[in-house]
Amino acid sequence: MYFWQDPQFGDRMITLMAAFVLVLQITMVAQRWLITNIRAFAVQSLLLAGIANTVAYFNHAPHIYAAAALTLVLKAILLPVFLRRLVARIEIRQEIEPLVNVPLSVIISGLLTMLAYVVAEPLRAASGPGDSAALGHNTLPVAIALFLIGFFMMVSRRKALTQVLALLSLENGLFLAAISLTYGMPLIIELGIFFDVLVAVMILAILVYRIRETFDSMDVSRLSRLKG
Amino acid sequence: MIERFVSVIGQAAMVLLFSPLIAGLGKALKARLQTRRGPGVLQPYRDLYKLLRKGMVIPDTASWIFPLTPFVLFSTTLLAGLLIPAVSAQAPLSLFGGVLAVVYLLALGRFFLALGGLDAGTPFGGLGSSREMTISAIAEPALMLAVFTVALGAGSTNLSSMAKAAVGQSWHFLAPSQMLAFAALFIVLIAETGRIPVDNPATHLELTMIHEAMILEYSGPYLALIEWSAAMKQMVLMTLLINVFFPYGLSADASPLGMTVSILLFAAKLAALASAVVLVETANAKLRLFRVPELLAVAFVLSALALISTFLFGSRG
Amino acid sequence: MTFALLLLIPLAASGLTAISRERRAMEAIHLLSALGGFAAAVLLAGEVLSRGTTSCWSGFLYADSLSALVVLLGSFVYLACAPYAIGYFRTDEANQVFGTEENPHEHLAKLRKYFTLTPLFAFSMSLVAVAGNLGVMWVAVEGTTLASIFLVTFYGRPTSLEAAWKYAMIAGVGLSMALFGTILVYYAAQHSTGGESLSALNWAVLVGGAARFDRTVTRLAFILVLLGYGAKAGIAPMHTWKPDAYSEAPVPVAALMAVSVLNCALYALARFYVLTVNCLGPAFPSQLLILFGLLSIGIAAPFILVQRNYRRLLAYSSIDQGGIMVLGLGFGGVLGPLGMLLHMTFHSVTKPLLFFCAGNAQQQTGNDSLKKTAGGLLHALPVSAPMFLMATLAITGTPPFSMFQSEFTVMRAGFAGQHEGMAILFVALLVAIFAGFFYHIAQLVLGPASGPPQRETCRWKTYPVVALSVLVVVMGFWLPAPVYALVEGAARIVTSTPAVHP
Repeated sequence: MYFWQDPQFGDRMITLMAAFVLVLQITMVAQRWLITNIRAFAVQSLLLAGIANTVAYFNHAPHIYAAAALTLVLKAILLPVFLRRLVARIEIRQEIEPLVNVPLSVIISGLLTMLAYVVAEPLRAASGPGDSAALGHNTLPVAIALFLIGFFMMVSRRKALTQVLALLSLENGLFLAAISLTYGMPLIIELGIFFDVLVAVMILAILVYRIRETFDSMDVSRLSRLKG
Repeated sequence: MIERFVSVIGQAAMVLLFSPLIAGLGKALKARLQTRRGPGVLQPYRDLYKLLRKGMVIPDTASWIFPLTPFVLFSTTLLAGLLIPAVSAQAPLSLFGGVLAVVYLLALGRFFLALGGLDAGTPFGGLGSSREMTISAIAEPALMLAVFTVALGAGSTNLSSMAKAAVGQSWHFLAPSQMLAFAALFIVLIAETGRIPVDNPATHLELTMIHEAMILEYSGPYLALIEWSAAMKQMVLMTLLINVFFPYGLSADASPLGMTVSILLFAAKLAALASAVVLVETANAKLRLFRVPELLAVAFVLSALALISTFLFGSRG
Repeated sequence: MTFALLLLIPLAASGLTAISRERRAMEAIHLLSALGGFAAAVLLAGEVLSRGTTSCWSGFLYADSLSALVVLLGSFVYLACAPYAIGYFRTDEANQVFGTEENPHEHLAKLRKYFTLTPLFAFSMSLVAVAGNLGVMWVAVEGTTLASIFLVTFYGRPTSLEAAWKYAMIAGVGLSMALFGTILVYYAAQHSTGGESLSALNWAVLVGGAARFDRTVTRLAFILVLLGYGAKAGIAPMHTWKPDAYSEAPVPVAALMAVSVLNCALYALARFYVLTVNCLGPAFPSQLLILFGLLSIGIAAPFILVQRNYRRLLAYSSIDQGGIMVLGLGFGGVLGPLGMLLHMTFHSVTKPLLFFCAGNAQQQTGNDSLKKTAGGLLHALPVSAPMFLMATLAITGTPPFSMFQSEFTVMRAGFAGQHEGMAILFVALLVAIFAGFFYHIAQLVLGPASGPPQRETCRWKTYPVVALSVLVVVMGFWLPAPVYALVEGAARIVTSTPAVHP
């Protein structure tokens, strides 16, 4: 048996990739350049595709390969390229200017990660002692943490494009949850979700572009005329 | 008892004798990477020999702390070196708290060095001391957290048990907590040994220097002791990193064959780690002083994540 | 076959309008598709009434009374909006809202956007109701958001961009929560039944196995789904997009969103409610639903009292109505879901009428502010203005209008379920809302004329108002027996009592 057929090795790899997915999410919170943010999102998606691939390989579940391939093509290549084009096109200042400063954001992210652990623990217990060794189940806290931190990023960011990125990373958390809990949703639903994400990003990008054209800024805190 | 005595003597001799070699190796390699000829590998020995023979100038304003500092620094560093398993999984000495004792011995040395810098009464000394303490204020918690993470995995803060626990597991180094802790400790290593991008030991530029500013007033044998301690500290930290994270080949018993293999492997790993540090030094520029805390904050966050991930991923963290 | 008709008609209409070059052609296609869609919905309702449930593609598409009711109401609103939209956009064009006459191509592009996207919107809303699979249902709900964003930005004003952005972000986050909840339910189902494939998320399979779901997972899933689909329904505190989107979108779009999107989101919520009750018993979901329902009504009340803009007033009324339906679901028992679904039915008829009247008033006076308009709308709009007042009475639940019956049913459900305090609070809030709403609209409609008497400008805009008004009055006294049977069947699905079929 080669070492890459050892389930324990697969388990280690999944855990490791999940940890780096989390590190990248915190990188997205902590650093200030939009382009780096997009790059971090791309690498994060790449790692997710890797996790999906590993799960598919060790569980002999071919439909997850499709999900992995879709993630790779769509989220790791297509969307980042598209978003970078958009950044180049609208010539925005590249700094993110979050509402909460960086150290505090990182601390909040850490707290959210612990919250995710607390939330995930009973779910992990729910899967029963026999199943707890199942491949990839231990990435559930990371998935929830991605979700929560993505949510926090949406709230704490002012620029429209960074909010889109936050939404996308939140979506990544959902993908990881689907992979780790259920070994992927049924393929047709997965396809539907990917289609929705793609269309949503296109629509949001057009909105970002038009907000930029109309307000001469991407700062959504300027969108404050509608009240009451 | 005799065996213990031999191992203490042996490791002390190894730390004392080989630490300048590692420093020299690093300098030579750096010179090669910068396409300079540079000094030979043995240059640090020559420097130490030269300094030890020279006379000393002691500032008039200095109190008893100034001459005490080199000795405290030298002895604490050497003692820390004896607490670490180097070629055998069993460290020669084992004090209270294991790895914590190592951290605090190094901190004690640094504390005296900072005092010594202040004691000379020159502006540069004070400047160096304050910078050193600023950096260590962030580097030390990162170091502690990373060490705790590893200790948590091993179930003990005793370095010998940590090394032994690490030898037994397959794919151990793939655990995220290990990787993150290693990354954090690597940054701490660079900061603690005064390397680029945190500090540049090769210059005396007042805008940036940290370690060199503190020891600016020392000369002769005292300077030799301090330089020697710096070399030993580097070796101690590197050994810590190597044997906690990559303990493969560490001999569990004292058989001659096991020891030989272990020594050879240890030397190779040490050389590899030193090369890695030199590569980082060559590939990066010195950071602005105000950005240094940010780099160390990254180390801190990484080690905090390492600690969290031991919980997040359960037994596989 | 009925499913195919229901789903393909709007898709075909969308495709055809996308390539047509004539305004009249687009309008005709739109009207025909609305009629066809409504006919298909009636057919589906008939099938469901006679056979109980109907499905195709091994349960991929599935309809019971609940889905049939939602489909019927949705296509009814679509049908009501179709002729109104024609008149509305003709008036817009006459008022030069799209810009000056110079560029007719741009006008046509704007109209094409409406006539292409609205059928897509209608398609996703039908798909929400007839999807047998909860995952597909999620995709369809997301589809309604995506189809409607550009309808909200229709006028391209800075404020409409703001409204669309808020809508997109809140709905986006909300729906990702709902997706998380769906994933958790799938996990619970997979775990208890061992099912691997697509059918593990099919409604018929889920509802049978729900009793064996893991309780912790189900609890978390319900919270997420409630927050998620609640955001889509505009339940407080995720309601903030609603006033903006409803006041910025063109009136027909706002009417569609206020009724159909609300219905779809509540429909999805009701499905998960049934699963949760089967697994955990009614206490846990009821508490949450009552909390969110009362919160919505409670938040709507002060905003209605101090409102300065009547389109936003309608949006807050919509939040209030959504809250009433959620509250009905939360009160539970036999009466609660019945009250909720009756309310949904009556609301779907009354709300478009309000929006149409408000739209007519806005196009007549040129603004939608309650402060700038001096009153006396009665003299400017001899048909729409009195109907506006009547619809206001109807929507606030004044007897003899039908919404009184449904709100009364919800209240009785509250007393029956030993939630007396909540029921009393509910009634008090309704009274406050009635007072505020009626005061504002009466100020607007009544009073001396501010100019010479005028006539309604466009028949396309007047006829839907008249037709809906007649319907609202008639429904106050008589609900057709088949519709009531459908509502009752749907309520039985929500209360999980086995259906009795003749």
